[in-house]
This record gives sequence, structure tokens and C-alpha cells, in this order.
Amino acid sequence: MGPCSTRIRGPLVRSLAALLLGVLALTGCVPRGNVVTELGATGGSPVRGGTATMALPPASTPNWIFPIGAPGYLASYNSAIQNLLYPRLFMPEKKGGALTMESPHNLAGQPRYSDGNRTVTIRIKKGRAWSDGTPVTTRDVQFWFELIRHNKKEWAGYSPGLMPDDVTSFDRVDDRTFRLRLDRAYNPTWFTANELRNVVALPVHAWNPAGEDPKTAFARLMRHAKSLSQFATDPLWKTVDGPWTIEGWNTSGRVSLVPNTKYRGPDKPHLDRVVLKPFTTTDSEFNVLRAGGIDYGYLPPSVMAQSGRFRKMGYRIDPWESWAVTYIVLNFHHPTAGPLLRQSYLRQALQRLIDQKSLSDVVWHGSAAPTLGPVPAGLMDGDPYPYDPGKAKALLAAHGWAGRDGTLRCVRPGSGPRDCGEGIKDGQELRLSLLSQSGSTETSNTMQAIKSEFDKAHVTLDIRQQPLNTVLGTTVPCKKSEPVCGQWQLGFFGSQGSWYFPADPSGESVFATNGPSNMGNWSDPKTDRLIRDTEYSDDPAALRDYGHQVARQLPVLWVPNPAYQVSAIRNDLRGVDQNPTLTLAPQDWYFVRKGGTGA
Amino acid sequence: MTTTDTVAAQPDAALATPGLTRRTLTVFARNKLALTGALVLLALLAFCFVGPLLHPTDQIHTDLTQAGLAPGAGHPLGTTDLGYDVLGRLMHGGRTSLEVGLAAGLLATLFGTVYGAVAGYFGGWADAAMMRITDAALAIPALFLLVVVAAIITPSKAVLILIIASVAWLSPARLIRGEALALRSRDYVHAMRLMGGGGARAVFRHIVPNAIGTVIVNATFQIADAILYVAYLSFLGLSIPPPAADWGSMLSSGITYTQVGYWWLIFPPGLAIVLVVAAFNFIGDGLRDAFDVRLAKR
Repeated sequence: MGPCSTRIRGPLVRSLAALLLGVLALTGCVPRGNVVTELGATGGSPVRGGTATMALPPASTPNWIFPIGAPGYLASYNSAIQNLLYPRLFMPEKKGGALTMESPHNLAGQPRYSDGNRTVTIRIKKGRAWSDGTPVTTRDVQFWFELIRHNKKEWAGYSPGLMPDDVTSFDRVDDRTFRLRLDRAYNPTWFTANELRNVVALPVHAWNPAGEDPKTAFARLMRHAKSLSQFATDPLWKTVDGPWTIEGWNTSGRVSLVPNTKYRGPDKPHLDRVVLKPFTTTDSEFNVLRAGGIDYGYLPPSVMAQSGRFRKMGYRIDPWESWAVTYIVLNFHHPTAGPLLRQSYLRQALQRLIDQKSLSDVVWHGSAAPTLGPVPAGLMDGDPYPYDPGKAKALLAAHGWAGRDGTLRCVRPGSGPRDCGEGIKDGQELRLSLLSQSGSTETSNTMQAIKSEFDKAHVTLDIRQQPLNTVLGTTVPCKKSEPVCGQWQLGFFGSQGSWYFPADPSGESVFATNGPSNMGNWSDPKTDRLIRDTEYSDDPAALRDYGHQVARQLPVLWVPNPAYQVSAIRNDLRGVDQNPTLTLAPQDWYFVRKGGTGA
Repeated sequence: MTTTDTVAAQPDAALATPGLTRRTLTVFARNKLALTGALVLLALLAFCFVGPLLHPTDQIHTDLTQAGLAPGAGHPLGTTDLGYDVLGRLMHGGRTSLEVGLAAGLLATLFGTVYGAVAGYFGGWADAAMMRITDAALAIPALFLLVVVAAIITPSKAVLILIIASVAWLSPARLIRGEALALRSRDYVHAMRLMGGGGARAVFRHIVPNAIGTVIVNATFQIADAILYVAYLSFLGLSIPPPAADWGSMLSSGITYTQVGYWWLIFPPGLAIVLVVAAFNFIGDGLRDAFDVRLAKR
């Protein structure tokens, strides 16, 4: 439907015209004139200053500022903001079709491996300083290392055997150089991409002036980190070494950043301010975007067909492809659902009831693609369990599940090859509940379609939707005895991708036993061994073997992997590079004005 | 005791005489808007409860091959983004809206009537305490309370009825309390008390029956309001979980597709909500006229 002309003649018809406008707005036919910029996607002269407003994902509120992540606070927007205040020593950067750890935003130069890949030497870039003028030194990095070494159980990035366990000593060579001695030889590519990416300098002079022991200091810092309403005013968070500093951060999720005037890196901000704006739903974001209230927002997949209109309004449309996989997490430690989910045949049956292709094409309007396994699709040979409701029903029937109407019940309890499986009681219903994130129409529809398919196979799926932070705070790794384990059976937090790979997409965090992001508590010795192979060897076959094993074992249910978002960016806002690992670099953004060639 | 009953029951008996009932119905029938409202309501009830027999559809399972179809053969009002037939969903969704609206409206009226009658009849400190509770509850925006409660509890039909009724009873309570204050000084109430009648008898045999006109009129408005509350909550995503639907949740889903011109997802449920709420309001207006003493005595 194209734009319509609305000419009003005479006062008598004004009320009718107003009604007509309302109807036109409802049917998507609005008059021209809502143009946010007259510039095209190229051209224009760069100008200094200005405020850029970016929309946060729906139902997402940044709630963690401390660069040491805690379980339940791992949302990508949290780490994206942290990196602007406290840049990591090494960050992934898009280079052609691949990722590299050689980013200009890095705080350190490239690491040097020696001693048969058992020692790493790292040098902080020259001239870097904190916002209070104190130089950034290796003492600041050592402070981070001591904090995580003494509080590793509280750190959401901790995987047993890996950082900090795999570092036998941290040696400060001088103020800018330090050396890590490792417990064995590691694959350098993997170690830089997946281990060194965690390393960050923290201002020891400001955060631990009294020289408290690491445990006491960490507990104190965590107390500050949980005071969301104080993030903008707490002096602790004012000492930064990144290009930005916090101007405002309210509890509803609105974050305002201004340039750190003392920043000495090469990528100094061009803008005066960047505002990250929260929205409860994609629809509310879309309405503000249409009204011109956001410089950098996103289009809901349901209105992708209308992208042409946004181009006419002065936005450029740029899909933000994600380096991610998407899945429903299965809680293997849940008291009643755990025994069900631990059955391999049952997971295969459930996976065969998910029509990923139709969901990608219809529900996601083509903006998602089926997830085949835990590594990028290019490394997978195919889908081991494609959509096949007939096979799913046959699998369940062959393992002692019966009942034509309503919900299937176990009629052959036991652990034999044709029985329901260990821990499943006689007459137990095949009923599961799913805690899913709210705010996205596509996610709601995906879950409804999956519920419908499950229902056709007489598997009952109860769905409960909650905001993303609630889902992330509930679906955390747990022990069987812990009460939180009984609060959820299946979880979904992947409206914009569930798991963003590190630059080396191995799965030590997400599918290794006791991995920090192994929310469902999956444990498989063979998977663990294959993951370790990827850590030690740079042979591409190691990654492929790990991918195939996890795809076959189904520790999660794969669902379509959406693009992070289909971005709509004002034509006069330039320098935006959409990193597939979801880091932000607003210091590179700038506005242009009409005239000249611009950038 | 027999004599007492006869005397005390006289006003009720007068209200129930065929002459007065006929006059009430006549006055109601003369009100064209009220009559139209009643016919529209009957038509909507038939649409929701008989319609599925004539136009059977699967409103449980999604059908992605039929998603987003415009009105046409097989789907007179098109299909939703998940392939549900919109006409069939309108019928099934209407059931939820009407059932919850009717039940919540009636429950609120019933509780509010008893509460108000007790407060008004007994007066004194009981009235003061009960009415302060009502005033305090009225000071909190109903929609805010509903949203908070619905966000904490997973809504089902029964839960929705209870949470809507829990905020809707305040208005009938105040209204009936006013009626009770006037009725408790009537001669037949004094007579009953002199003959040893208790408070419960006074409330249930005299106060409530004599305020029945006000109660019925208010009930129609309460039902209309309850249907709107269901729509509000559903529009905010706090409705009964899918695949169940109601008109509010249908409207909420349809709004997502405003930009791509899927008008058939928006106008039918919107129109249905407008029609049913207007119908109940017209009926309420008609009943108020019919129960009005001056008109009844014409």
C-alpha cells in the first residue's frame, strides 16, 4: 500500500478526516512528511557533536555495570556497555567474513606465545590512563586476575579447569607488560579468542585503595554492582579507561553515555552523547522509530515488507547478522522434568516436532535460519533430526508412551531399551513447562507453534512468558538440591539469539560439564573430551567433531536463529559497524550534514 | 411469625406483581436503543455459542501453511499470523470475553450489593469502616491493580473472573449502600424489626429485593466494564495463555500487523468489543428507565 494524499476541505469534514486518518494509520497508509533526514545513505559532511539515540532490545533493561559478570546478568547489552567503560584487553572484530581478535579497540597489543604455547606475554598499549589521570598498568590487570582467582565461583565466566585455573602464575614484567604461565600448551587461537577475551584492567587505585584482600574487595564491589539505582552516581563507576563514561542510568533501563574527556585511545568519541533507550515490546519501539524518536532502531520482522517506507523516511536498513545459535534450554536437574529430558529418544522426538524451516519462513518472515548445531552452519553436514512428526510419534510409542487423547502417559516404566527410561514413573504424563522471554511477537508465535506441534503428538507444553532479565535470572545452572532448579523446566531467551560464540566457536562455556553458561546442567564425558580437543588443537576437525557430537546428543532443542535485529539507522548517522558478537563502538559514530562528500 | 412474614413481604410481593413487571417490560420495549442493544447481544451470544457449530474451525493447532491469508473462500475473515481462521477465532474469543465479562460483572454486583446493603443497613461504625475500605480501594487505579495481579498470577478463566471482580465490586457497593440508607428507615423495615426480625433478614428480604432495580441496571454496566477490563488486560498481554483467545488478545495480535495492512486482524475484534459494550450500556439505560418509579407509575 503506497502513501495516500489527504487534502482537507472545510471545517465540517475535519472530524471525518480525523477519523479517516486514524483508519489510514491503522491500515498502514499514512501521509508523507515524516522524514527524519533529507540526506541519502551516502554523502554529507561530518560534524562534531550531537546525541544519538539507540533502541535496546525489547523487554531488556541493562542491569550490570561491573566488568566481572555474575550469573543471571549475562545479557549482551550489559557487556556491550561495560566494554565502553572498561575495554577488554582483546575484543573480537569483524574482518571480512570472519572474526579476528586484532581490534583497534583493544587495550593491549597482540599476545606473544612462547615456551611451546605454555607462556603468553601481553603488553598494554602506550599512554592509556584512567579518567582520573592515573596510568593503566599491569597492576590493574593483576587486580582483575586476583579477584576472579579468589572468587571464581561467583564469576559467571568461570569454567572449571579454564581461566583462572589454567594460569599457574601471573608475572608482572613492568608497568605495561605481564606474562601468564599456563598449566599446559594451548591452541593459541583458542586461548586468545576464548580466554584472553575475558581479561580486563580494573582501577585498583580507586576500587581497592586500602589494599583489601581479594575476597573482601570482591564482596564490596559486588554490593555496589547490585545497586542499579546508584550506577550513575556511585563514585566507584566514575573511574573508567574506556572512551565513554556514565551520565545517567535509571532502573527502567535508560542509559546515557557521554565521552570520557581523559580517554587517550585512538578512537575518541565524535558524539556528545549516546542514549540507549529501553522498550517493553518491539511494537512500542517501532512506534517511536516511526515517529522519528530513535536514530538507531530496528524493524520488527512482521513489518520487513515495509522497509522501503523507512528508506524514504531517511533510514538505511541494515540486518545485524549474529554470530550465534538459538535454542530452548532443557533443565536436566529439574526434579520431575529432569528424568524425562535425560532420555535421548525423547529429546530426539521433541526436536523432530520443531518445524524450523516453516518457523523461519513464516513466523520470522525469513529473518531467521534453522539452527543445526552448536557451531556455525558451515561446519555442519546437515540436520540430524529434521522435522518429522511421524517419526517423533513412533519414537515415543516405541518407548512406552501411550494415550490417544490428551497427554501421553508412560505405560512401560523401566530402563530397558523399549521402556520410558530411568526415573520415569508408571502413568507419568509427558507434560513440560517452558519459561520464555516476553516482548517479541515472533518469539510468542514460535512458542505457540511449537506448543501446537507438541500437542498434535499429545505432548503438553505449558508456556509462561516473562521479561528477559527474569528469564535470565531464573534459568541459571543449578544443583539438583537447589530450589532454583525446581523453578523451571525448559527456558528460552533467544529472541535475538541464545548463545553468541566467542571468536573461536568452541563450547567450553555452554556445553561442557559445569560450564558457566551451561544453564541446563548438561554433562556428557565425550562432549567434554571433544571440547578439550578444540582447546588444545588448532585442527579444524576438532571443532567439527565437537559440533557433530552436540548436534546428535541434543543437550538443547534447536530453534530458528534470528538476525540480532534488522536495524534502521538514520542516514545522517555514520560510522556504525554492526559487530556480529554484539559489541558496540559508538565512539566511531558521527553525524553528517547536507553538503560535501562526507564519509 | 406467619403474620410477620406476610406483612414484611408485602413490598416484595408488590414489586413482583405481573402488572408492574409487564409495565417494566413495556417501558423497556419502547426504548428503541435498549431493544437494539438486546437484539445485538442476543445475536452476539448466538454468534459465539452457536456459530462454531455452523463454522467449525481448529482454534487449538496452528497452521503455518495458512498464515496471513486475506479474507476469501474458506476463510471469510482471513487468517491470523499463525493460520487460525479469524471468523472462528472471533467466535471462540467471544466466548471467553463474554463468559469472563458476564461472570466477573455478576460476581462483582453480587458481592458489592451484599457489602453495600450490610454497610447501609447497619450504619454506625460498621458502615464507616466498610466504606473507608471501599474509598481506599477506589483510590487505587483499577487497571494498575489488575495489571499487577495478572502479572503475578498466570491468568486462567477463573482467575481472570476473580481478579476483575475483585476491583469491580466497589462501585455497586457504594451505590447499594446509598439505597440501603434510604430503605432502612421505611415502615416495613421498622415493623419487621419490632417483630423481632434480625439484620440478615432485613438485608436479604427487604433491602436487597427493594433495590433490585438499581442492582440489575448496575449489573449491566458492570458486565460491560468487565468485558472492557478483559480486553485491556489481554491487550497488555496479560490474558489467558494461547491457544486460548479473547477479543482483546486478538486485537493486540492484530496491531502488530497494522503496518502491513492486515485490517482483518484488527477491525473484527475491535468491532465486536464496541458492539457488546454498547449493547450492554443501551440495555442498562433501558432498564434504568423501566425501573424508574416515575416511569413505572405512568
